[in-house]
Amino acid sequence: MTRNISSLVIDNLCDGPCEADIAIAMFYCDFRDQQQQTATDIIGAILKQLVVRGEVLENVQGVFEKARKEVGGRGLRLPDMVQMLKQAISTLPQVFICIDALDECLPKYLVELLGSLKDILEGLPSVRIFVTGRPQVETEISRYFATSVIVPISPKAHDIKGYLEKKLELDTEPDAMSDALRADILRMIPEKISV
Amino acid sequence: MDCPLYLRSINTGNVNSYNVTNSYNSITNVNKVPADGNPEIMRWLSPLDPGRRHQDVRTDRLDGAGNWLLETSEFREWRGGEGGVDKAVLFCYGNPGVGKTYLR
Repeated sequence: MTRNISSLVIDNLCDGPCEADIAIAMFYCDFRDQQQQTATDIIGAILKQLVVRGEVLENVQGVFEKARKEVGGRGLRLPDMVQMLKQAISTLPQVFICIDALDECLPKYLVELLGSLKDILEGLPSVRIFVTGRPQVETEISRYFATSVIVPISPKAHDIKGYLEKKLELDTEPDAMSDALRADILRMIPEKISV
Repeated sequence: MDCPLYLRSINTGNVNSYNVTNSYNSITNVNKVPADGNPEIMRWLSPLDPGRRHQDVRTDRLDGAGNWLLETSEFREWRGGEGGVDKAVLFCYGNPGVGKTYLR
């Protein structure tokens, strides 16, 4: 559910007015990649999306060259990454960061990630952050962002019906299902799970 | 006329997409940095590639579903930068089992 909402929000930001000079970076947390999705690599992935901007790349390139000369060119730690991201954001007029499914992040990385985002937000008024997750994450969110705006996502009957229709259309064996069953599916499931 | 999507440049995951990005940047940015040599920096920053994931999700997305959120005052104000730093974070939560996984 949140995945669709997140992609919709990202596309909405991207389709904004041409004159708005905004940069958008996003990340989809995925429990299947939990081990790989460390806070450092998530922040790095966000920075990566801003690097396409020339002004950001210049600074990152500088840090990269320096790091290469030092300890074998590797070993970026979370504070280094956050620092670089902050620097990057400070050169841009407006930055939107969207992160989907925070609950799919390992708890140890989630607290690091939220801490980093809080740090980033503090000195930089040009950042807006959109996050999604299961209701349980709200406690964590409120701990780091006491004044965040919270909106519940509840499935709308209309959306569910549309989704089901799409899936039924793609059925490879449509004749295996009677019209009555099809009608029941389209009536009962939306009724049952919507609000 | 369609807006050039900044996102399209993100999705490629490399810096060869300068032509696209440039629509949002000043021309001078393009020539500052050579496009080659950057994949190494990209890998150094993060092995993760969120752009590809976004393409998958949006391809699968049902037209019109979730549009209600974009119409809420919460979203509009967040997007418009109202409320300053205090309102910089928008958190949307949904229960598990109400989405695709449940319906499959």
